[in-house]
Amino acid sequence: MSTEEKKETEGTDISRRQFFKEAGAISAAVAAAAASSVIAPEEAEARTTFAEMFQKNYRLMTDEEKKEAIARLEQRHSEEYGKKVTVDGSPAIKDVLFGYALNIQKCIGCRRCVHACVKENNQSRHDPEIQWIRVIKMEKGNFTVDDMNKGYPANANESFGIQVGGNAYKNSGVALEGQHYYQPETVPEKDAFYFPIQCHQCEKPPCVKVCPVRTTYRDPDGIVVIDYNWCIGCRMCVAACPYWARRFNWGDPNLPAEEMNPNTHYLGNRPRMRGVVEKCTFCLQRTRKGRYTACLEVCPVGARKFGNLLDPESEVSKILDRKKVFRLKADMNTYPKFFYFID
Amino acid sequence: MKTRRIIKVTFGALVVGTMIFGSGRFQTQAQQEQPVQSAAATAPVTDCFESREGYTAVTRVENVTPDGNPNVKCSPTTNGVLWWGDPFDGTVPMGDMPAFGPDDKTRGDYETEEAVVKPREPMLMYFNMEPTQNCAFCHNGQTVPFPTDKNPRLLAAHQDIVENSMQLMHGRAAFWCLDCHNATNRNKLIDHKGNEVSFNQPQQLCGKCHGEVYIDWRMGIHGKRIGSWTKGGKKRWWVCTECHNPHTVQVNRFQAIKPELAPALPKGMKDAAHEQHHGGGPAPAAGHGEAAPAKH
Repeated sequence: MSTEEKKETEGTDISRRQFFKEAGAISAAVAAAAASSVIAPEEAEARTTFAEMFQKNYRLMTDEEKKEAIARLEQRHSEEYGKKVTVDGSPAIKDVLFGYALNIQKCIGCRRCVHACVKENNQSRHDPEIQWIRVIKMEKGNFTVDDMNKGYPANANESFGIQVGGNAYKNSGVALEGQHYYQPETVPEKDAFYFPIQCHQCEKPPCVKVCPVRTTYRDPDGIVVIDYNWCIGCRMCVAACPYWARRFNWGDPNLPAEEMNPNTHYLGNRPRMRGVVEKCTFCLQRTRKGRYTACLEVCPVGARKFGNLLDPESEVSKILDRKKVFRLKADMNTYPKFFYFID
Repeated sequence: MKTRRIIKVTFGALVVGTMIFGSGRFQTQAQQEQPVQSAAATAPVTDCFESREGYTAVTRVENVTPDGNPNVKCSPTTNGVLWWGDPFDGTVPMGDMPAFGPDDKTRGDYETEEAVVKPREPMLMYFNMEPTQNCAFCHNGQTVPFPTDKNPRLLAAHQDIVENSMQLMHGRAAFWCLDCHNATNRNKLIDHKGNEVSFNQPQQLCGKCHGEVYIDWRMGIHGKRIGSWTKGGKKRWWVCTECHNPHTVQVNRFQAIKPELAPALPKGMKDAAHEQHHGGGPAPAAGHGEAAPAKH
């Protein structure tokens, strides 16, 4: 930070502090008028709210400020949900780069990962219903021998062996765009495969690139995180993400207290507010403490694998080493750390 | 989806209100739908299954973990486990895993880390019919005489496991019961070299033929593990028979399961018919009357 910038920040800091003082005085006066006691709970809440409102971007906070912010949240959420809520602030583990591999051949489309994720990560249950994982049902390809000469260009002799197997009127391969709302009696269905999508934790994340307030950023362990307090809700990242991974809280999240998971992380599954964006964080409140992600643990077919890409002995590294692996939209140059593989 | 839910709730209320008709199944449904109406009547699902129904059952117990969580949280839709509070609940050490040789590249972290499994024996119905002698209570050489050879014959019992014992479909009917089940000690399995294998360690038997998958399983590529992802961390491994039924593996490769609920439709979308037909033209006449939105 240059000195000029520093001065500027200090300047805003002072004006903010003054504003805070005035606002605090007003709220104190209101509280005093409402109840004659000296420290009304409303005042404490107002203080917390104001302090939260004017806290810095999480990345620019000193360790002490982080602690304060976390303590504020723990207090507020514990009161709100009637149980002891812990907000963790643990940073990325050294020499760890998280990677995820999903066996696309095994997935049966049961959506258990979707709902396990909701249970773990305190998403809004309804209105808006927010789910970080989407499982898309895909039709199996329909490339047949009849399509062999129907590729573009029409004249097979001039195609130099390039065969696309379809044309503008009839496409080959996967014909449906993918079904999100399938609900059969049982899965897997015949002639279908299933494609779960969540945040790919890109190495070059387009969402980070477009964020005007730099509230979303990539941590050293590869997780793209969001400081919800600093998010202005412009939804640029939602538009920028090629994997359709980000969700927006269009209304106040509906999270019943009895379903709330009290083990939270500041950058992960702590309760969100209206008007902020959220997404999969590879359950960093769990994975930074060594536990597998929630979606992996419930997968009934063991299609999901997770581990440290920097460790050649990890499950994910072994998969990259031995299996046929692809990345979704690799042409976007986002370098995702989420891999799909087949046996 | 919403209408179905409403119907369910109404029907549930009806059952609760009258308490006259409806099988147990509908009553459970009514109990599950109750939380929607009142938070006080919240009854979490306690009878759950892990990977597949009928393979591994688990009962929800409250306040098991140090932070006051239950051992599992289950889906009200399917009764499948959706969340593990304690991933090592009810597990035992996995036991040894012999190396393939001095230069065994498939040897994973289980050499140094703690690997546990959930024992299979408590899940086996016939095994637990008699608590002390188990299968040997009947298969003791007297009540049921020991078979003299491995040739297929019609069984007098256990048709629920293998419907037609003359056509046991494992290895395309090349195998028969006694290739895996020990003829003289029915509480154990037996491999092709005559070594006894516990029901709790089926991988030691299955791996003898299914080597490629066994190697993947040892490396953590095939199958499922929960617990800690870290190098040297404690993991619970799923063994072969927690997902695969060796008796029906060629007839019914996997037991299909009920999926969890689909996501809610976006506001203003009446149904998801548009995603179920080809080409992006109008929806088929048999389906929904409206034209699907034009596709780009």
